[in-house]
Amino acid sequence: MIRSLDDFARIAREKGPKKLAVLAPEDEEFMLAVKTSWHKGYIEPVLIGNTEKMKRVAEKVEFDIDGFEKIVGDDRQAIADLGLSMLFSGKLEIVSKGQIPTSYIYRSIIREENRASSGMTVSVVSFWEVPGLDHLVAFTDTGVSIKPDMKTKAEILKNALFVYRLLGYPKPRVAVLSGQREIGGALASYRDFDVLRKAAAAGDFGECEILDATSFTEIFLGDRDRPIDYARMNLERMPHILLVPCLDTGNILCKLDFFLDVTRCSLVATSRGPVCIPARSDTSDNIVEQLAMCVVVTDRMKGEVQ
Amino acid sequence: MLRSFRDILDAAKEGDAKKVAAPCAEKKDMDLLSKAAGSGLIIPCLVGDGKAIEGMLKGMPLASLEHEIMDEKDPDKALGRSVRLIREGRADMLMQGTVDHQVLMDAVMDARNGLRRGKLTSYISVFQLPKPEKLILVTDTFINNSPTLAEKQLILEHALRLADILGIDAPKVAALAAVEQINLNIPSTLDAAILSKMSERKQFGKAIVEGPLDIDCALSEAAAARKGLRSVVTGNVDIYLVPEIDTGHLLAEALVFFGKLETAGAIMGMTNPVILNIPFVSDENRIVEIAIAALMCKKGEDHA
Repeated sequence: MIRSLDDFARIAREKGPKKLAVLAPEDEEFMLAVKTSWHKGYIEPVLIGNTEKMKRVAEKVEFDIDGFEKIVGDDRQAIADLGLSMLFSGKLEIVSKGQIPTSYIYRSIIREENRASSGMTVSVVSFWEVPGLDHLVAFTDTGVSIKPDMKTKAEILKNALFVYRLLGYPKPRVAVLSGQREIGGALASYRDFDVLRKAAAAGDFGECEILDATSFTEIFLGDRDRPIDYARMNLERMPHILLVPCLDTGNILCKLDFFLDVTRCSLVATSRGPVCIPARSDTSDNIVEQLAMCVVVTDRMKGEVQ
Repeated sequence: MLRSFRDILDAAKEGDAKKVAAPCAEKKDMDLLSKAAGSGLIIPCLVGDGKAIEGMLKGMPLASLEHEIMDEKDPDKALGRSVRLIREGRADMLMQGTVDHQVLMDAVMDARNGLRRGKLTSYISVFQLPKPEKLILVTDTFINNSPTLAEKQLILEHALRLADILGIDAPKVAALAAVEQINLNIPSTLDAAILSKMSERKQFGKAIVEGPLDIDCALSEAAAARKGLRSVVTGNVDIYLVPEIDTGHLLAEALVFFGKLETAGAIMGMTNPVILNIPFVSDENRIVEIAIAALMCKKGEDHA
């Protein structure tokens, strides 16, 4: 069972290097992460982008990229398309975003999934490592669907369950989050919770448990009506997966790592392998952790058919 | 400028004690009222079954402090009578007590007999940051489900009023969204951009509204700089304006449960302060809510 980001790092050293397309590594922070990941034996990079820019940042971070395969490209969408087509054709095992808008990557993934007729909904899973908690917490979808309807949420949940089971948890615990309070009527997010919970009970998502809780108060304290009491707070009640109501909520919650004592790592699990999508504000250390996670996920995806 | 809950309590104690109408208070509420009355913040006006209240008071410090009892045996009428006390100027603020949330909201929002002041009410969560000691406001975290742009403007104006009461001069506001760039498919980014433009044209006085901001840019100047975004707001936010209630409610809870931040809050848009029982506000911090309400009373008609 993978319980921490250290577990990802340890296994990535054992299972690497994996061939990785790096899309426009034209930023020092990102190139430094590629350098570190290569030195650690996680990856064998294929660099796609503007050669001059890549060389310039490589020099700045003292990384000799002469020995690596390089593919020249300037058009951002074309770079994303090429990287994803290489992943889907099996030429490499992971793709990672560099200086490319994330929306371009999503567009390429959707195109490839359609070509492959996988029927897969593209979604982002962001893991938190929380001190004192013996498992990682996955927020989803934190990157693609702006306001997913119930059907889309069901697909997003299936993706997250697939990824979480790869970590060694056959029956993940899930909370479908909502801002439902005692006032204001039933929110759409709460109605979705109700439907998804029934679907889970009917076996629609395989082995998993959807908690009867939609807020952190209910998750940690067990009911909505009691004022908070840290003495009663039970961190062990934290589920494995948190299905967020919408993109605004997901992105804002998962990036609280800039304030809280938690570490975040995100990926998109496509039907052919993971795509690493670090935020432009992420540091190189954080990007290295995300690449290690992708190495482990791709290794465990071998033989799995979603 | 008030920087902590201690500062709020100290500031609220200056001046006259405010009268709190408390319908159907139970033991837990009596403890709170006792503590607040003992601090000189309030004079409780207990509305409910007189004999039962006297029984509860036995042995409590409140028994020896100034208080009033309004005998109203019918619990359904106690709330209406409490609201009437406020409308008649015989009490300054209302406490929820054991009244159900929706029942309370229906009563105070009633156009003819309630306490509603303007077009909209909102709830602001006030958090105390430990280092550096500072108060931040997050809104709306409890009342409005999916505010329109016009409603967000009112929610923001409420927050600016509370910031003023707390002595935050020229508050810096992050209008939050999922991304920091305007995306025509993401309505929160458009709303945030418009509010930001309004701020640029000084439509919010000295306040500086930056938006859209994603949370990483709002929280970290360095993270914003890596995205090429430079602003006095990034990394130094006083007010976080959230897109809708799913985000607001869950964000407030995340700050409490994961961030271990102390929180209190205030409902805005009423003629007089109303103290709600918010599930993620601890018993210890409910006295801070009373203190904020007292500060709002001191401000007079401009409080909300």
